[in-house]
Amino acid sequence: MRAWRWLRENSILIIGLLAIAYMLVPILVIAVFSFNDPPGRYNFEWAGFTTEYWADAFGIEELTESLLTSIRLAFFTAIGATILGTLLAIALVRYQFFGRRAANLLIVIPMATPEVVIGAALLSFFLTLDVFQLGFTTLLIAHIMFSVSFVVIVVRSRLIGFDRRLEEAAADLGANAFTTFRKVTLPLIAPGVASAAFLSFALSIDDFVISNFNSGSTVTFPLYIFGANQRGIPVQVNVIATMLFAVTIIAMLAVIIQQKRAEKAAAMRPEEVANKPAISIPV
Amino acid sequence: MTTLRQRMTPYWLLAPGLIWLFIFFVVPMYYMGELSLKTGTLTTGYEMTWAFSNYADAITDYSTQFLRAFYFAGVATILCLLIGYPLAYAIAFKSGRWKNLMLFGVVAPFFTTYLIRTISWKTILSDSSPVVSVLEFLQLAPDGRVLATNAAVIAGLTYNFLPFMVLPLFASLERLDRRLLEAGQDLYASARQTFLRVTLPLTMPGIIAGILLTFIPAAGDYVNATFLGGPDQAMIGNVIQSKYLVVNDYSEAAALSFTLMAIILVGLLFYIKFAGTEALMGDEEEAK
Amino acid sequence: MSVMKKSRLLVLAVLALAASMVLVACGGDGGGGLSGSDNSDVTTATGGDPQGNLKISNWPLYIDNATIKEFDQAAGTSTTYTDDVNSNTDFFGKMQPLLSNGDSGGRDIIVVTDWMAEKMWKLGYVQKLDKSKIPNVEKNLIPSLQNPAFDPNREYSVPWQSGMTGLVVRTDLAPDIKSINDLFDPKYKGKVTLLDEMRDTIPLMMAADGINPEEATDEQWMDTIAKMKENVGNGQVRKVTGNDYIQDLENGNVVAAIGWSGDTTQTSNPNIKYVQPEQGCSIWSDNMMIPVGAPNPAAAYKFMNYVYDPENQAQITEYVNYVSPVAGVKEVLAKKDPALANDNLIFPSEEFTKNCFAQVSPPGDEQQVQEVEQAFENAKIG
Repeated sequence: MRAWRWLRENSILIIGLLAIAYMLVPILVIAVFSFNDPPGRYNFEWAGFTTEYWADAFGIEELTESLLTSIRLAFFTAIGATILGTLLAIALVRYQFFGRRAANLLIVIPMATPEVVIGAALLSFFLTLDVFQLGFTTLLIAHIMFSVSFVVIVVRSRLIGFDRRLEEAAADLGANAFTTFRKVTLPLIAPGVASAAFLSFALSIDDFVISNFNSGSTVTFPLYIFGANQRGIPVQVNVIATMLFAVTIIAMLAVIIQQKRAEKAAAMRPEEVANKPAISIPV
Repeated sequence: MTTLRQRMTPYWLLAPGLIWLFIFFVVPMYYMGELSLKTGTLTTGYEMTWAFSNYADAITDYSTQFLRAFYFAGVATILCLLIGYPLAYAIAFKSGRWKNLMLFGVVAPFFTTYLIRTISWKTILSDSSPVVSVLEFLQLAPDGRVLATNAAVIAGLTYNFLPFMVLPLFASLERLDRRLLEAGQDLYASARQTFLRVTLPLTMPGIIAGILLTFIPAAGDYVNATFLGGPDQAMIGNVIQSKYLVVNDYSEAAALSFTLMAIILVGLLFYIKFAGTEALMGDEEEAK
Repeated sequence: MSVMKKSRLLVLAVLALAASMVLVACGGDGGGGLSGSDNSDVTTATGGDPQGNLKISNWPLYIDNATIKEFDQAAGTSTTYTDDVNSNTDFFGKMQPLLSNGDSGGRDIIVVTDWMAEKMWKLGYVQKLDKSKIPNVEKNLIPSLQNPAFDPNREYSVPWQSGMTGLVVRTDLAPDIKSINDLFDPKYKGKVTLLDEMRDTIPLMMAADGINPEEATDEQWMDTIAKMKENVGNGQVRKVTGNDYIQDLENGNVVAAIGWSGDTTQTSNPNIKYVQPEQGCSIWSDNMMIPVGAPNPAAAYKFMNYVYDPENQAQITEYVNYVSPVAGVKEVLAKKDPALANDNLIFPSEEFTKNCFAQVSPPGDEQQVQEVEQAFENAKIG
């Protein structure tokens, strides 16, 4: 009876935990199978434990190459998208201007467009125009394009949450616009900008659909996996996926700690900060 | 002079980003629209013939895949809502100090590549796996298989897009004024009544945002159908993908994607009219 | 030195980019893009650094692990070997936008099946070969492959390997599958796959129904495609696949498939076997070609010549187990591994291939063929 009551009282929490288990199962499977020792080309049946593929994680040249391409692409995407998106966010939050609705629309609609349509439209554009060769450049253009909107959202939520009086104070103290921006605004929104950059990096490195349309002969990490699926995915893919997962977690923890520190330093409206998730996930 | 300069400032800030979005989003859409009205092949070249018949052909030939995409995405969205609401609720109100950890659990899948996650389900659900044996025992896998069935694709979509449902729900539940809930409890006494009359209506914006953010990408997805489905699970995304990248039948492919875009855009504009553009950016009140 | 000034620079850069694009869009309609192509001005492949980089696109598991390294050592080249050809149609779809622009994506050799080789040639996507650079090919190409209908003088194509399309079966799970029509036995519902290349799947199905594929009419192609569509639609056929059918056979998701003769040897499961369909198989070759825009034809010739040395070729044959186009391989293998020299999959006897036919395309002009192809594409998605 008591057990039943306990179950009833905690039913929502139990459903929640089950749902989270559901979210984590595939990741666990990926990690476990990175230690598998398959007899043939296919890594889908448990055949024995080995760390051989961890030791040889970068042993497949093509795979390593594709990973480096992805990292390079994600890096430049993060820079490009963060600059464009941050400027947009500042304009949207700080200024009144004519055409705001149109600007909002232009930022929101790409996010609400199915990836397959974005990929198809960009390919139509690149093919018709015939200026860019399909490859790294077209990938970079596409990735910056679809990341900008997400950057805007993250930085924007950060900007809305901060005290403008700090800037006014700086202005009163005689700082010009640029100095105020550099000394007051930027440090305050820096955590937001950092998580935006982090997010666009993650979006870029994970993108398959849009890249598949616009890659030409360039092979990114997801594209490699897609091709490899035809002939058997090497265990190294699981190893690298697990590594990426671990690295992202560490990076995220670093950002969180950094953020906490910055927040302490700024000591701005503590109750609001506490309510915000450390990393804003665009929703 | 300075006032003019000040008035121009937002435009200088907006220009780079908006121009980028304009050239690489709006203009490509235009080119896709144009291509959808042309006829030809890559070997003969394409010519503008105002071939509206491309649309008629595309829609009649692939109505099955269109309907299937909306059906799969619809079911997956409902499942996401049914799983996601209790989950978001649990995180917001019941998780205590485990809140961040649970939130992390929700976003964790984002940190492994989408393709690998989907392929991982293929491993979990392969015909000889214990999971499938259990499902078969429970009479849930009639042919002794899960892969290459509707259920597999819907499950994959549900899995991959669940975070997009949970996060906006969580955001709107978090924002809920707890005093209202207490007042509701005083008024209606029963927990169910409080939920139906207070919590649910107040989190409606979150629910709608979640539905949009789940349904739209799910309807256009082809990765799940490719890996987890068979020929009978092909969605409209698979058709567009194969026409663009394998058959190189660009005109009809463009017509198909344009149609998909149009359908989704109508739904979206309807929502924006009802909630405003800022709602999609994650907060309800218009900035200033 | 304000933030505005900086952003203004950015704006200028983006505007300049935009302006240049608009100009190009208005002015340049010539050359490539979506404006068509043919082979009216075909060139002979020359140039490149014989000691430089070589990039090859081939099918998965179509070469052993050592040959490339040994070739690089012998020739002083640096070879990038990519197995990114998963099906002729996929690969063509991927390459066409590039090739129609005279760009091969850096590839010097591509390997595709006969009909696709012909198609690419007609579109002007491949270059003529300078035969003086490949003496081994002249000397060792087996006579039966010297004058194929699509390239009577082997002007632009050199066979890589030949093979048969037939049945690949899990003999432990479906021992009674002998004919293509056995795939449509209800007891194997959802446990069989077909190949996503029309010229692999449809002629075999026609032969199984007593139609001679070489004389099949347009209507018979369409009828057979309709039969396939029905079996795809009712769930009998689990998937229509490229190379990945082997994967499903290995983990038992699938018990029988239309597949390629050499594929069974590289699996880890000895129960996966090639079964010659009772009504015959289809025989094809995959061909090396030098695409337009290939940066290094000189190294490409070197490679072709290298693999046409019987000793070198025997090493590849030993691994891939397909039918080798190079004379003298049997003699080399007879010394090294007599079992292989007598293997029907590598050196098929006349008895083994008595009902087989050369891979065929649908009859009619380009337009008609395309209609049949479109019907097949639609049958694939149920």
